[in-house]
Formats: sequence, structure tokens, C-alpha cells
Amino acid sequence: MDREELFERLNTVFRDVFDDEDITVTDLTTANDIEDWDSLEHINLMAAVEEEFGIKFTMGQIVSMKNVGQMADIIQEKLG
Amino acid sequence: MNITSFQFLCFFTVLLALYYIIPKKMQWGLLLIASIGFFQAAGEWWLIIYPVTTIMIIYFGALYLHRVKEQKKKQIVLSLVVVLCVFLLCILKYFHLGLLAPLGISFYTLTLLGYLFDVYYEIGEPETNIGRLALFGYYFPTMISGPIVQYKEVKDQLYAGHAFDYTRVTFGLQRMIWGFFKKLVISERMGLVVNTVFNQYQDHSGLTVVIGAVCFTFQLYTDFGGCMDIVIGASEALGIILPENFDTPFFATNISEYWRRWHITLGTWLKNYLFYPLLRTKFFSTLPKKLKPKFGKKTAKKLTTYLAMLILWFTIGFWHGGLWKYIIGSGLLHWFYIVSGEVLEPLWKRLKTWFHVTDGSRGFVCFQRVRTFLLVTIGLIFFRADNVPAACHMLGSIFKEWNPEILWNGYLFELGLDWIEFTIAVVSLCILLLVSVLQQKKGIRERIAEKPLPVRWIIFFAAIFYVILLGNYGPDFSAAEFIYQGF
Repeated sequence: MDREELFERLNTVFRDVFDDEDITVTDLTTANDIEDWDSLEHINLMAAVEEEFGIKFTMGQIVSMKNVGQMADIIQEKLG
Repeated sequence: MNITSFQFLCFFTVLLALYYIIPKKMQWGLLLIASIGFFQAAGEWWLIIYPVTTIMIIYFGALYLHRVKEQKKKQIVLSLVVVLCVFLLCILKYFHLGLLAPLGISFYTLTLLGYLFDVYYEIGEPETNIGRLALFGYYFPTMISGPIVQYKEVKDQLYAGHAFDYTRVTFGLQRMIWGFFKKLVISERMGLVVNTVFNQYQDHSGLTVVIGAVCFTFQLYTDFGGCMDIVIGASEALGIILPENFDTPFFATNISEYWRRWHITLGTWLKNYLFYPLLRTKFFSTLPKKLKPKFGKKTAKKLTTYLAMLILWFTIGFWHGGLWKYIIGSGLLHWFYIVSGEVLEPLWKRLKTWFHVTDGSRGFVCFQRVRTFLLVTIGLIFFRADNVPAACHMLGSIFKEWNPEILWNGYLFELGLDWIEFTIAVVSLCILLLVSVLQQKKGIRERIAEKPLPVRWIIFFAAIFYVILLGNYGPDFSAAEFIYQGF
């Protein structure tokens, strides 16, 4: 999957989780950029991303990813 | 050895001098010896068995977790190590060893378990040198009551050589004086009023109880916060920067924000090692789907979170001492605040339009801060009171009497502080507030460092003399035990 398509799908997940149709994520998007993205919502987001791509993050990845770019890297790595 | 005692100051001065004289390679070794000495000075010699056992278990556990790749085996070993550590902790904490229990056992158990989890989750590498691991677990500034450090945060600093750096050492010492100010000048004074009101709580009602409770909130904050300033400052003077544990918590506008600013490192620890793993368990990750047909997607998600939060808050309360007054006062009550805040959101919105309140307006933010402060104070009544019935009695007695006259009839000065002492306390609290406000914009020590030399020294000496002259020392010239040390 190329990166563009991956971000398209990530946008759908983000819009659904945060209930906001205006969200567009980039490599540099962090939790600070999205108002409702707190530590609680983070886990919900992780679960939604996992479901969308059919992958499973490790706890280490969940607590250490710094922005959406890193999240995308991990997803690409997992999808091979 | 209490960190506001004369012995500690001597210990620290000698350590600081030695630290910068000896070769840099030996510095971490000196810190380890100093930490063992610090621990030993706190109690019976044989208590050293506890840290030695814990370190060994964690050391070998982490090495094993790193080497073995099979998930099943890893899980079994992890559970075994955690159970063993918690078991040792419980023996020391909740059974007959109360008085003999070494300093802040919960803090270093959490620190070491965090290290173990990081290795398990493959975020961190295990430490192969057991001496280094021991220093990480028992570094004397953090041993007393945190901050709970993460291995990856401090490992590069802890074992590296540090050259003498004038600015860093003076900044560290300044921070220590600030801590002594909070602890000795404010906290000890607040303590006198708190003891009067809480120890004879049946005799007090109305505004007196409110004043006693508010004083306890200030006492706890300046006590714990002051302790953090002293240990973070001491560590800074040694060249090791520790994470902050407080960020002006009473500027928070709601309870969730308050917990992101109060005891920050405990919050981070619980989030990473308890809350997230809990939400990732099969039960919690499938719960929203099970609830969805009945409640709808959004509510199902919320209900799951509330349930997980209930477990989290219960644990926080339990961690404070296993008594119901703690479980309610710094656990379940806060859960209730956060959940009711969210559930009743539509009601608050309607009230806000009713009263023509705009979010973020100065007046409303002020209201939110005072409200958060009072909610926290209610929780702390439970925390400080003898037990839950006593706390309920005190809360009830607030409404039994309307007695604003105590503010002007002199009764206020009979609660443990005469008018001079009372004035010192109020002035000091104002200084604390002023510095906190200034600190929000720009670091206060950086501001002072920009001033010309004579001005810097005047500020420095004025601060020292303020603390020495106005510090409220106990009868044996050692301040009462830090409140948080026992947790």
C-alpha cells in the first residue's frame, strides 16, 4: 500500500474516532493538534487503527509513537 | 535521615564536594555508596535485605525477559516477578513492620517495575551491570518520595561523568532553598492549624472546618511540592536532571487537568503500565462491541472507559495506604468528579448559556480554578481525617453553623497560629502564588540570573535568611516527617 492510500484510510479512522469530518492528518500531526486526542482516546484510536488494517500494535509501540508519521511507519512495516 | 534535617545538609555538602573532586568515572559509584548510606541511616541495618532482594529479582527477571522470545514464557516470568515484588512490598507496608518500613518503599518498587515492563514491552534494553541498576532503583534523591523516574529518561545522565558547572550547581541549590521555604515556612505552619481542627474535629464547625481543610490542602501541596523541589534541586546540583512532579496544580480548571499537574510521574506510570494494558485486555477491548447494540457506539465506548477508570482510581486510592479514607478521598471521589463532569455535560452547557458565561473568559476560568481547588479539598478531608465517618462528620459540620465572625473576632488566632505567625503564613503563601504566576511566563531562576551580581546575592541571602529565621522547626530541629514519605 502506498503512503497516500494509507493516509486516506487513516483519515477515515481519525474522523470516525474523533467525530470530526474536518480532520486531515499528516506525518507531523500529534496529539496536541487534535483536541480530543488524550490518553483515553489514544487507546480507542489504536484499537480502531488495528481493526482498519488488521494488525496488532505492541504496548511498546503504543506508548512510544510520537506522531502520525511514526504510526504510519509501523503500519507499513507490519503490512510488509 | 530527614531531608530538612541538619544531618542531611551535612551529608549533601560532603557528597557534593567529593563528587566534583573524584575522577568522573567514579562518580556514579559514589552516588551508589551515598544512596546505600542514606537508606541505612533511615532504619535497622537488616532492612537492606529488602532492596537487595528486590534488585536481584528485577535484575535477573529483566535479563530473562530480554533473552526469551516466547510470549507465554515471558508472561509467566513477568507475572512471577511482579507478584513477588508486590508481595514483598505488602509485607513491609501493611503488616507489622509499619514503623520499621524503609523510606518510600512504594516509590522505588514502582520505579523498578516500570523498568521491568519497559524491557517486557521491548521499549528498553536491560541493564547488565547490577550496581548500575541498584543506583537507578535507589538513587537517594528519588528514594524518599519520587519523582518516579523512567530508566530511559535518566540512564544517560546517571552513569555519565559530570564536570562542575557553576550555573547548574547554583540553580540546584536555589531550587533546594525554594523547597525549604515551602516545607519549613509554609507547610509546618499550616500543619499547626490542621492538627487543631482535625484532631479535635468534634469541637469545630462552620467556617473553622473549611479553614482547617483549606490549610491541609496547602500543607500537603507545600510539603510534597517542597520535597520535590529539594530532591530535584539536589539532583540538579549533581548534574542529573529529574522529571518534574508538579506543574502548579491549583491553576487547573478541572479535575482531569489537576491530575495531569499533580504527582505527574505517578500519573504517567499508571497510564503506561496499568491503564493502557488494562484497556488492551480482551475483556475491555471487546466490551464496547458487546454494549453497542444496547447503548449505541458512543455511549458503549464511554461506559467502557468509565469502568476502566473506576479500577484505575481504586488502585490510586489503595496505593495510598489501603484504607477506605484513601480509597475514597484520593480515588473514587475523583473518579466520580470526572465521570459526573462528563455525564452531566449537557446540563453544564445549559447552565452556562443561562448565566451568559463564555468559556475561557477570565471570570469563568477563575471560577473553574476555585471550584477545582474546593473539590480537591473535599477529597483531602477524607485523606487527612482519622477515618471515613470522621470525614463525613466534618463535611456535615460545615453546614451546621454560620460563623463568619471568626474572621474578625480573633478566634482565628487560637487555632495554632498567633497573629504574627498567621501573617507570616499568609505573606509566604502570597510569595508562593506570585512566584508560581511569574514562573508560568519565564523561569524564575533565569530571571534572577539576568540581574547584576549584587542584586543576585541580595535575593539569594534574603531567601536563605527568610527560611532560616522564619522556618518552623520542630522541637528537635528537624521538620516533621514529609507527609508523602510513607506512601
